[in-house]
Amino acid sequence: MISFQPTEDEISFIKVAKDFAKNRIRPLARACEKRRAVDKTLDDEAAELGFLSLELPESWEGLELSSITQVQLMQALSYGDLDIIQGFQGAGDAASLFRLLPDIPILKNNKEDLAGGATTALLDLGNGVEGPGKQLNIHRRQDGYILQGLSHPVRMAPSADYAMIAGDDSHGKSVILWLDNSADWTIQQGDYRLGLLASGLGRLSFERVKVPATHVLAEGEAADDILREARTRIRILQAAKETGLMEAALDYATEYTAERKAFGREIAAFQGVSFRVASMALETRIANHLVLEAAAGMDNQEPAAERLSLRAMHRAHRSLRYVTDSAVQLLGGHGFVQDFPAEKWMRDAQAQVMLYGRENDLLARSGDHLIAGEKEVTVT
Amino acid sequence: MISFELSEQQQQIKEMTHWFAENEIRPIALEADKMEKVPDDWLDKVNKMGIHLNTSSFSGGASSSSSGKKAKKEREGNRMGVLATEEMAWGDPAVTLSLPGAGLGGPPVESSGTPEQKERFLSIFQNDQPRWGAYALTEPDAGSDASAIHTTATKVDGGYILNGQKIFITNGARASWVVVFATVDSSLGRAGQRAFVVEKGTAGFSCSRLAQKMGLRANETAELVFEDCFVPQENLLGGEGLYEMNGSKPSGFQVAMKTFDSTRPIVAAMAIGIARAAYEYTLDIVKHDYPKQGDFFRMASEILGEAEQNIAAARLLTWEAAWKADLGMANAKEAAMCKAYAGKTGLDVCAKCLELLGPTGLDGQLVEKLYRDVKVFDIFEGTNEIQHLVIARRQYAPYNIRV
Repeated sequence: MISFQPTEDEISFIKVAKDFAKNRIRPLARACEKRRAVDKTLDDEAAELGFLSLELPESWEGLELSSITQVQLMQALSYGDLDIIQGFQGAGDAASLFRLLPDIPILKNNKEDLAGGATTALLDLGNGVEGPGKQLNIHRRQDGYILQGLSHPVRMAPSADYAMIAGDDSHGKSVILWLDNSADWTIQQGDYRLGLLASGLGRLSFERVKVPATHVLAEGEAADDILREARTRIRILQAAKETGLMEAALDYATEYTAERKAFGREIAAFQGVSFRVASMALETRIANHLVLEAAAGMDNQEPAAERLSLRAMHRAHRSLRYVTDSAVQLLGGHGFVQDFPAEKWMRDAQAQVMLYGRENDLLARSGDHLIAGEKEVTVT
Repeated sequence: MISFELSEQQQQIKEMTHWFAENEIRPIALEADKMEKVPDDWLDKVNKMGIHLNTSSFSGGASSSSSGKKAKKEREGNRMGVLATEEMAWGDPAVTLSLPGAGLGGPPVESSGTPEQKERFLSIFQNDQPRWGAYALTEPDAGSDASAIHTTATKVDGGYILNGQKIFITNGARASWVVVFATVDSSLGRAGQRAFVVEKGTAGFSCSRLAQKMGLRANETAELVFEDCFVPQENLLGGEGLYEMNGSKPSGFQVAMKTFDSTRPIVAAMAIGIARAAYEYTLDIVKHDYPKQGDFFRMASEILGEAEQNIAAARLLTWEAAWKADLGMANAKEAAMCKAYAGKTGLDVCAKCLELLGPTGLDGQLVEKLYRDVKVFDIFEGTNEIQHLVIARRQYAPYNIRV
């Protein structure tokens, strides 16, 4: 039955998340950005409330929640500040791979650490993120792999205790590798100014690092299958975070324009303003619905789930840019200065869409599925 | 629980209406457009099959027949309505709008009519012969501003005398009755408005002409004239009691506005059906005729990917509006959202599909017709701009800002 009604449990959990977002996350957003790290106390509180183990498998003491529940929680949390959500330590995006590979010995042996707060950086060299300037290569050898080069910027780089690397090897075969010694890489600090500055952006540099066969999590078609599902899950969760930021920007712009006066009346009374707010509301609702449908598709293991995730991510990116830019625009000069949150949200939004897939690529891949028929599209 | 799976009943009506659209409606779509008319024998045939366009029935739902002792079954009439309408419009929107039934005239009678009026006006849609209802609000000088209508209703002994003109009335000439909005005192503004059911053949009520249109050519769009047209007391929708009960409240206007909350999702569903028809037609051609790689393939992937996304987005907005209506929740904002988005995206999808078809799309192909048909879905039942106004008003309601 078509329904947009969350369950009672979801409503309760979402309320906790939204309260945490408003009362704890939002007030610390600027300070965390300035420090370029999430406040440790806040991180501990999020972990205590269970927000950092939503995706982790139950066998790892995680909550292993459905996608439909997680996206609602991610939206609520990101309402506070996307930058902080992206800077929380822990499994991060790798949680989706832990969920799919809970019994791989090298992971299982470290599960207490991995689920207990250790930070894992995920370097996904496929998925349309890497562009023509790819600098990190995976060379296949008889007894394993060799990593050579510099990764693209990823979240949680400086604090990473572990690293998971996914992509095509030198023979064009998919592979997922595991590194459990942070001495294997060095961090290139870089010069980040745009956004998501508390999320620990950085590049991992590898100098002929040998990855033994014991640290190969999956290869070939098995890796293709796992990556397809993991990327689908990650896209949906990241798109949900984007809808949370959209909602924050929409609410803030609505309140501001309802109170700000010009020409003797609230500027909301001018249709040039109010229609833009209406469009923001429409885009926010659309992105939200597409994320929910993709999450439901994921939970139901629908064949179209991958395409639905590409679609949701594409729309979330596009809508996020529009909504956060509109918030800045509606605040006028106040939108441009750091006394108000709108400029930070717009910067964070742009950084977010740059980290999680190019819009045209997402769209074209979604179209590929449609033209070819869902089953005929190869993993990318 | 949030879900996008159809219930058994929803799935059944979707399949049934799709079968009808594919086998009965689509085959006559292009010919009906050319003739600017849906063939009478076809209308007679489908009427005998019991196929009606009766939007008011969508607001009924399953719970109306539930007894007090039984667990109440969730209403799903509005969701069924938008599912069915999308499929029918997929077949052809002009033919769908021409189907016998109360059409857009149904919701105001259903929501505001007295029990006697409901029985009298809604029970005429039988299988013996096709009959239609219609809804007349728009005037030459009052479209989006529905509160500015000029048609007058002068109280006389036993009823009212109507004078004025209505335009853009779907099925207005063939309708057995038309819900007509008029003002008893223009100085009262909205509070002076009343809704009447004017029956075909009433003295002083005539159709002055049928409009020639860009699209939806097979569907009748009438201009109606009321010249000293006497309408009996019992045809005042809701009866005098409705207006006395509401005191000075603008209840006639409310009847008109309330109607939109249930008809806008239906209209949105039609636009979605049209967009889907264009998309599926084009996807099929791309699959067979386009190269499997290169610039054209890439262009097709992006255009079709975006078209499908926009269709899905419009559908989800529409489902949400219908879901809220089924649960008895206020849905004016969602109804405006789905109408605004579906109307706009319908045209955009059709235009992009024409781009993929190229010049051959000009020559006797379905999509160019759909492109002409769909434009009005961004206009009637409230323009895109009016929908934005409604959304903005709801958005600012907590701050007491009147946009």
